[in-house]
Amino acid sequence: MKVTIKDLTKRFASRDKTGETVTAVDTLSAEFESGKLIALLGPSGCGKSTMLNMLSGILPVTSGKIYFDDKDVTELSPDKREVGLVFQNYALYPHMTVLENICFPLKIKKVRKEERIAKAVEIAKMVHIEDYLKRLPKELSGGQQQRVAIARALVKQPKLLLLDEPLSNLDAKLRIEMREEIRRIQRESGVTTVFVTHDQEEATSISDYILLMKLGVMQQFSATRDIYNNPANLFVADFIGNPTINQIHGVYVNGGIKPDGSDEIIPCSIKANENDRVVLAVRPESVLFEGGQTTGTVNDMYSSGKDWLVNFNIGDTELRGYCDADYNVQEGSVIKVGFRDKGQFLFNEETGERY
Amino acid sequence: MKKINLGTIVLYILLAVGGLIMIFPFIWMLISSMKTWAECGSMPPTWWPKDPTLENYVYAFKTAPFLKYFRNSLIVTVLCTGITMFNTILCAFTFSRLRFPGRDIIFSIMVSLMMIPYEMLIITNYTTIVKMGLYDTLAALIIPFTSSIFYTYILRNFFLSIPDSLYYSARIDGASNWQYLWNVMVPIAKPSLVTIGLLNALTCWNSFMWSILVVGSVNNRTLPFGLFAFTDQAGIRFERLMAGSSIVVIPVIILFLFCRKQIVTGVSKGGLKG
Ligand SMILES: Nc1ncnc2c1ncn2[C@@H]1O[C@H](COP(=O)(O)OP(=O)(O)O)[C@@H](O)[C@H]1O
Ligand SMILES: [Mg+2]
Repeated sequence: MKVTIKDLTKRFASRDKTGETVTAVDTLSAEFESGKLIALLGPSGCGKSTMLNMLSGILPVTSGKIYFDDKDVTELSPDKREVGLVFQNYALYPHMTVLENICFPLKIKKVRKEERIAKAVEIAKMVHIEDYLKRLPKELSGGQQQRVAIARALVKQPKLLLLDEPLSNLDAKLRIEMREEIRRIQRESGVTTVFVTHDQEEATSISDYILLMKLGVMQQFSATRDIYNNPANLFVADFIGNPTINQIHGVYVNGGIKPDGSDEIIPCSIKANENDRVVLAVRPESVLFEGGQTTGTVNDMYSSGKDWLVNFNIGDTELRGYCDADYNVQEGSVIKVGFRDKGQFLFNEETGERY
Repeated sequence: MKKINLGTIVLYILLAVGGLIMIFPFIWMLISSMKTWAECGSMPPTWWPKDPTLENYVYAFKTAPFLKYFRNSLIVTVLCTGITMFNTILCAFTFSRLRFPGRDIIFSIMVSLMMIPYEMLIITNYTTIVKMGLYDTLAALIIPFTSSIFYTYILRNFFLSIPDSLYYSARIDGASNWQYLWNVMVPIAKPSLVTIGLLNALTCWNSFMWSILVVGSVNNRTLPFGLFAFTDQAGIRFERLMAGSSIVVIPVIILFLFCRKQIVTGVSKGGLKG
């Protein structure tokens, strides 16, 4: 099912006594293609859960419209929307066994008992929890509870699956396993899925599309690959990527950037207005340690797993770049560096907009 | 073998003595009820009746319709408790889950009504019942006691502690408010509900003053009233009085023995924690 959001806005009365309203989601428009996995990404408090809750119908919207395919569902109550939702804390019914939990949506729909058990078992197999059907939620590990929650959300064959930070309660190893699982389950079921996370790595590894938000405002909505290679603004460039993108603040002069605290000019093929304050952003893998002409001073060289990183300064700015393992520098070495065109972006310092 | 230290022994002895002191009046009641008039009054008292007799029970059942009293008590208690629980559940749900204008103010007013002492309500309740033409009926014993602000307050607090996400999950799973209440909230609140229900049943079962006021005829008496009336008939024949009292108390003790586990878990699981 295709989901279309038009000028969606949600304002809350502020929780403290100032009386101001908080705009959790601000005139957001987007279209989620059918059968895709969309990651809703952004720092904590940017309105991701609010968005999701409006899609599920738990929260009424302040203004704007939500369409499922071509049907306006903005005013439709949650029980009529045919969505599945997995909460961050899973929200399993504590007094019901795993099987009863999964059966619950069907029981409400008055599906016959044998039929609902058959369906529940089928879904349980898909998420690999068929061995735990008789247990209570509190007797399961976090990962198992999460699978039960997903099974319960999927059993009624929702048209839209919503997941609110489903992995944040799991430990690191399980998290990576489970995100592959979610990807597999999503592919197998083919249901349009919105996945909320504040972890950019999680978002990029799992999704077809990423919608990146900041303070309720959509920053960029594009295919997952594009968001890394083609960030719309400085916030996006900074948020996506690990290690984070290098940022050189300076002034645009003579077709290059004069970094703060240095007199050298870094040549740059991207055009900006003369004397603008700009930020040159360069991905660590786009730093070249051979054939460059900008002077840098090495602080450190260290390994992160199989890769080696050099930490160096240009003027006052600290940067990081990937290098070969046999690259030979020590603290204090003076080196010449250059930047590849790919992975190099220029932004206005004040507005963060990209040139 | 586990070593038993002195402290534990002393503790157990103290507990045993405490237990005996608590249970002694009951045992004495049962023993006395099986004595003869002469033995019951003899000095020094005997422990075990020389020839135990059930005659006093026969007398009690002959003189007063205890079975009828028992039936009345049962009807009143079951209906009172059932209706009160139903109202309490609905009311607690309304004030914890649903949102409507004035909700919190209405609830505060309700809670402040708890300040009015029961004795003050007796007269108004009495006139109401009489005007309704319910004087001397079982309904008069039931109708005024079909809701409880106190239990509503306790249950509402428990409902508030159930995470919102369960409610939203259930709503998204297709459940209406009504289905959510009975399929999710009530089962989760079962320990609290059992505690509240038992407390309520006990209060009903033992309620005395109100029944004296609104019930006149023998046919509509409940056990406590019946026993009270029986004291007149039995006069100073203590062994007969004791038999009557035993008849009233024994069903409650049996009930407790059956439900002991639930009562204890209900109370210890913090069913009454605010
Ligand atoms: N019920 C509410 N009342 C007032 N403010 C709220 C409420 N829910 C969320 N907010 C505010 O809206 C903003 C977005 O919240 P949320 O959607 O939960 O963020 P996220 O899920 O991205 O961490 C936050 O500033 C939060 O404080
Ligand atoms: Mg959130």
